[in-house]
Amino acid sequence: MKGTLTVRNIVIAGVLGAVAILLGVTRLGYIPVPTAAGNATIMHIPAIIGGIMQGPIVGAIVGIIFGVSSFLNATVPLFKDPLVAILPRLFIGVVAWLVYVGIRRKSEYFAIGTAAFLGTLTNTVLVLTMAVVRGYMGAEVAWTVALTSGIPEAVVGTIVTLAVVLAWKQIGKGKKSRISEDL
Amino acid sequence: MASEFELSRNITIGQYVPTDSFIHRLDPRIKLLIFTVLVLAIALNTSYVGNALGLLLSIYLFWASKIPVSYGLSGIKPAIPFIIILAVLQLIFQGNVFSGGTVYFEYGFILITSESIRLVIVSAVRFVEIILLSSVLTLSTSTTELTHAIQSLLSPLKKIKVPVHELSLIITIAIRFVPTFAIEMEKMMKAQASRGADFGSGEWWRIIQRTKDMLPIIIPLFNIALSRAEDLILAMESRCYTPGNDRSTYSVYKALGRDYLVLFIGLLFSLLLLFYPFPY
Repeated sequence: MKGTLTVRNIVIAGVLGAVAILLGVTRLGYIPVPTAAGNATIMHIPAIIGGIMQGPIVGAIVGIIFGVSSFLNATVPLFKDPLVAILPRLFIGVVAWLVYVGIRRKSEYFAIGTAAFLGTLTNTVLVLTMAVVRGYMGAEVAWTVALTSGIPEAVVGTIVTLAVVLAWKQIGKGKKSRISEDL
Repeated sequence: MASEFELSRNITIGQYVPTDSFIHRLDPRIKLLIFTVLVLAIALNTSYVGNALGLLLSIYLFWASKIPVSYGLSGIKPAIPFIIILAVLQLIFQGNVFSGGTVYFEYGFILITSESIRLVIVSAVRFVEIILLSSVLTLSTSTTELTHAIQSLLSPLKKIKVPVHELSLIITIAIRFVPTFAIEMEKMMKAQASRGADFGSGEWWRIIQRTKDMLPIIIPLFNIALSRAEDLILAMESRCYTPGNDRSTYSVYKALGRDYLVLFIGLLFSLLLLFYPFPY
């Protein structure tokens, strides 16, 4: 049944989607570090965690929920465009999953960190690419934003994801249901 | 100070005002469909008269659903400074882009024409209309009804193997848990603050330090979310929930004559907004 929607996939996707919405509607989703926008977003982290924990489908679904919620909450015209707000967010979790699965054998920690770093960069790069394609900003502006806000955001994203995933793994609760894998 | 911790106040998702009006009793599928069409029609209309009609309609819908307009206006209040700033910026900078019509004022790069004034007024009114319309929809329809409506409107996609039921379950879980997590977060922030936690007052260039300051809230948030997920998984599996099975629904919607009437009037109104050449 791998790749299809199991009970576990459905519930984890829903709950991480709720976290993504919550981070979006409160100011918790923004960490005040110096970037072009004044703060780094961590709203895409649930999508990365979904991708790492449950695979690409959950990652993509959480990404869509994050995209739709950022589209509905948007107060700038850039994110009122579904092609900028929703489409790029599909790939955050998928990229994170691919990277994680690729490196996992070498080192678990390194894999999680790299997946978070590249997942965050995926968000920045794809959103900015769509913004340029749709004509909201010029290519030079996009490069400046990518360097000044993409890099700090990727650093923040890596720290938060590593902390969250490791804390969850070490807290020892783990999976409660013993039959999840058999269904 | 205390307001800093009130997260649930900002969350209007899932608010529902049960007045049992005509609008409340409409078929949620029809409501969702009409809402989508109306928002599209309003978004594409650029005339003064058309938008005035749209504004009248959204206020009328509030009256018809017996919900105090103040509920809708409370959604607009925080947006007012933003609307004003946007309007001023558009007025100053967009004149050259929308340079048609009569020129009223010109100084340096500032150019104010009848077309740029139209753009400013219409986009502000349109913003208010869309907020009012979406408030009517969410205040008069419970989240359960909305997800049922989404599920049934998307059900043709089942033919191409899209797991519509599972996706709508994910949406339901997500919307259901947002207020719960918000309350948990409030408790957590108060608990950490009472222990003297410092949420990011370090020097601004120390990115890693500032991120670490947020970890005492972020980590418990994810942990609470994931442990609630584990409980829910256990509960669903022990009740033998099997994804992908055919299942019947508790509430079956049946569109009545009045639903079709509303659908017809709504479509007519949208077509009017879309295609009628308004003089102003």
